[in-house]
Amino acid sequence: MMSDTPLPYIESKILRVSLTENKTTTEPIPDDLYRNYLGGRGLGVKILYDTLSPKVDALSPENLLIFAIGPLTAMPVPTAGRLEVITKSPLTGTIFDSNVGGYIGAQLRRAGYAAIIFEGSSPTPVYLWINDEQVEIRDASKVWGKDVYETTDMLLGETDPKAQVACIGPGGENKVKLAAIMTDKHRAAGRGGVGAVMGSKNLKAVVVKGTGSVGVDDKDRLTEAVKRARHLIKKNAVTDKSLPIYGTSVLVNVTNEFGMLPTHNFQEGTFNDAVGVSGEKLLERLLVGRYNCFGCPIGCGRISRVGDQEVGGPEYETIWAFGPQCGINDLEWITLANHECNLLGLDTISVGSTIGCVMELYQRGKIDASMKFGSTEGLIDLIRDIGHARGLGAELGEGSRAFAEKNGAPELAMHAKGLEIPAYDPRGAQGHALGYATSNRGGCHLRSYLIGPEILGSPVRVDRDNPRGKADLVILYQNLSAAMDSMILCRFTNFAWTVDDYAEFLAAGTGLPVNGRDILEIGERIYNLERMFNNREGLSAKDDQLPPRFFSPLPEGNSRGRVVHLNEMLAEYYSLRGWDKEGQPSKDRIKRLKIDA
Amino acid sequence: MDLTVEALAKTIDHTVLKADTKQSKILQICEEALTYNFAAVCINPVHVAYAAELLKDSDVKVCCVIGFPLGANTSEVKAFETKDAVRAGAHEVDMVVNVGALRDENYELVRSDIEGVVSASGDAHTKVILETGLLIDDQKRKGCLLSKEAGADFVKTSTGFGPMGATPYDVRLMRETVGKDMGVKAAGGIRSFKDAIKMLDAGADRLGTSAGVAIVEDFRWAKYSDSWMQEDRPCWDCPSRQANLAKQPKEVYVWYKERCTICPDRSGNVFND
Repeated sequence: MMSDTPLPYIESKILRVSLTENKTTTEPIPDDLYRNYLGGRGLGVKILYDTLSPKVDALSPENLLIFAIGPLTAMPVPTAGRLEVITKSPLTGTIFDSNVGGYIGAQLRRAGYAAIIFEGSSPTPVYLWINDEQVEIRDASKVWGKDVYETTDMLLGETDPKAQVACIGPGGENKVKLAAIMTDKHRAAGRGGVGAVMGSKNLKAVVVKGTGSVGVDDKDRLTEAVKRARHLIKKNAVTDKSLPIYGTSVLVNVTNEFGMLPTHNFQEGTFNDAVGVSGEKLLERLLVGRYNCFGCPIGCGRISRVGDQEVGGPEYETIWAFGPQCGINDLEWITLANHECNLLGLDTISVGSTIGCVMELYQRGKIDASMKFGSTEGLIDLIRDIGHARGLGAELGEGSRAFAEKNGAPELAMHAKGLEIPAYDPRGAQGHALGYATSNRGGCHLRSYLIGPEILGSPVRVDRDNPRGKADLVILYQNLSAAMDSMILCRFTNFAWTVDDYAEFLAAGTGLPVNGRDILEIGERIYNLERMFNNREGLSAKDDQLPPRFFSPLPEGNSRGRVVHLNEMLAEYYSLRGWDKEGQPSKDRIKRLKIDA
Repeated sequence: MDLTVEALAKTIDHTVLKADTKQSKILQICEEALTYNFAAVCINPVHVAYAAELLKDSDVKVCCVIGFPLGANTSEVKAFETKDAVRAGAHEVDMVVNVGALRDENYELVRSDIEGVVSASGDAHTKVILETGLLIDDQKRKGCLLSKEAGADFVKTSTGFGPMGATPYDVRLMRETVGKDMGVKAAGGIRSFKDAIKMLDAGADRLGTSAGVAIVEDFRWAKYSDSWMQEDRPCWDCPSRQANLAKQPKEVYVWYKERCTICPDRSGNVFND
């Protein structure tokens, strides 16, 4: 049913924060912006596209930093508490969004805001304190230089213990291009250097307490949809067993078995000590508790004990980054490295991948610094140096692409568009490889998680080594992901739910009359607008590429002899996308998608 | 694709046959069967009365397994078990054939064993489980013909507890053997809508699976891409790939594996996916 009253989400406002002028204003969300782009990622992408001039320095005051929640946020829909951070990335030079769990998204919605747009740069360190309708830009000099845990505790003490904090650590303050924005201490909007953008604005933190209620268009219909959705989560082996019991690190043994657990900077696809760093081993040795984000019945988050500390994580990608990628089999050390990154506010994937790249540079005699695969010696100090932009750490903080290029071996950086490729060797899954290459934010495993069908057989198993038909599936997942990141719901739900379920939530919760195909069209619109942003920045088909290593066969394991068949898939992908050979959306496609550029 | 979600659901026997099944699980699968309008729930005899009560005002049938899972009970015990199940409310019985007798070529015993259950079942439908993983093709064909002669309504591939699950190959063989007038039920290892559709395309008209909800729910993905149903490598669906020396008689295992050596698709026989 379509209600006569304004959509509940529309009642939320956009909060515009001019850091240069130390001023805040509010404005309504334009109705067409909501209907065409929903919220979250879509809303941020549209605002960035319309506002930023091409070639803006991502770390200059001209860049925008947008925090946005979605139309379902804080409704009783499972996982509907996430926050999107949208900006231009200093690491990739592309448009970028990073998605984080925890509880701050729900608080922001309850405070009445759909998005916060940070403009300019403050002359001195500040933080934003939102206490329902009250908004203050406060001095942050006391917490500047503090780590994420200290910052969070101090700001909660200074504001309200029931508030939620999103902050940067030293990494963001020092504009390290691998810096994350952290919520609830150990949840990260990790990738692309979004923390560096926050640091460039002298914005240490956002603290939010929201106590308002959230309207629902059709309460009975939403209740029924939620009941059904929870049942499906309980029925699904991934969401009811694997993720709650082992966390995301259940994937260590899986990808190793498939011969696509990247080892020694992607030189091999199997790690001899995989069992020792697996989710099963984490459960036996270190796990002390689970962590559920707002409204999440899955609870994939881990709380681990190392020595006398209880720390967040580690996730699968982090175990890979500091483990097999660097040839390290010490699970306790990996957990500590993860915690160090959380304190500093760093992206564990890019930090670990970059260290692995450095190890290979050393292995091949390209650099003098002694960095051996398998050795943890000095690495915690190196991570600290990355966070504080000191010495070699300052160079690594520019990312693996810059470091490998500088040392004469660009082919040894395992990245796409400058973003380090995560924990799945693309030679083992053709569709996933195409997803890496065509992701608008670079080497990302979440834009089109074809590991689902290609490896886990969800919803059905497709031949992971066959490039045929993969373009179609990648596009489906990319469009759906864009829509999900705009509602906003967690990616893991689509092990249990289908496109139609997301549409039902949106229709029941907000009154927006949509079905599954409408959702996918909204996602397609967002994906194309991101692409247009990147094209405007000078990116084209030449950037939809993967490192040369992935066109040479894996030497061993269950993906032995396989290479990525990228060009074959790319041609089909562009054709289905309605993009020309340069990877630019056609006028017809832009018109069909009603992109008002 | 012409198949609707509702039509797919109506091919499914929503199955729970594990030893650890609690009554709450029976309640759950009956509720799910009503929600999705599955063809039947397929359960062990101890749960029949409870399920029949839960489903009494619906068109979801109660299907009970007999002589399960080995088929090694005497004919008298199978007949009694059938009568008892039907009295408790079963509309269908899935009996396991006397596999040993079939392998011994003691066809009279096999036939009479089935006839005893058919007779005891009254108006209830009888499905005969051949346990294909213990048989070579000629034995499967003979099992189908004996089931038809004995008056059974369906032949069924597997128990789900034996050495192999259902394969499109076996379903096709069974359909070709029994013709159009008898039902063919595929059971064992059917976990996704792609598996389900392959079985239906091969000639099955009923599917036994414990993944009924996931199959029907996930089938909603099908309309968004044709790539889900892209053809798999032939070995993926071949019974020879499931052959297992630890679970099968030696000669049956060897029979399956020898087929690999003369298979035109042998180059695709790579066990890493």
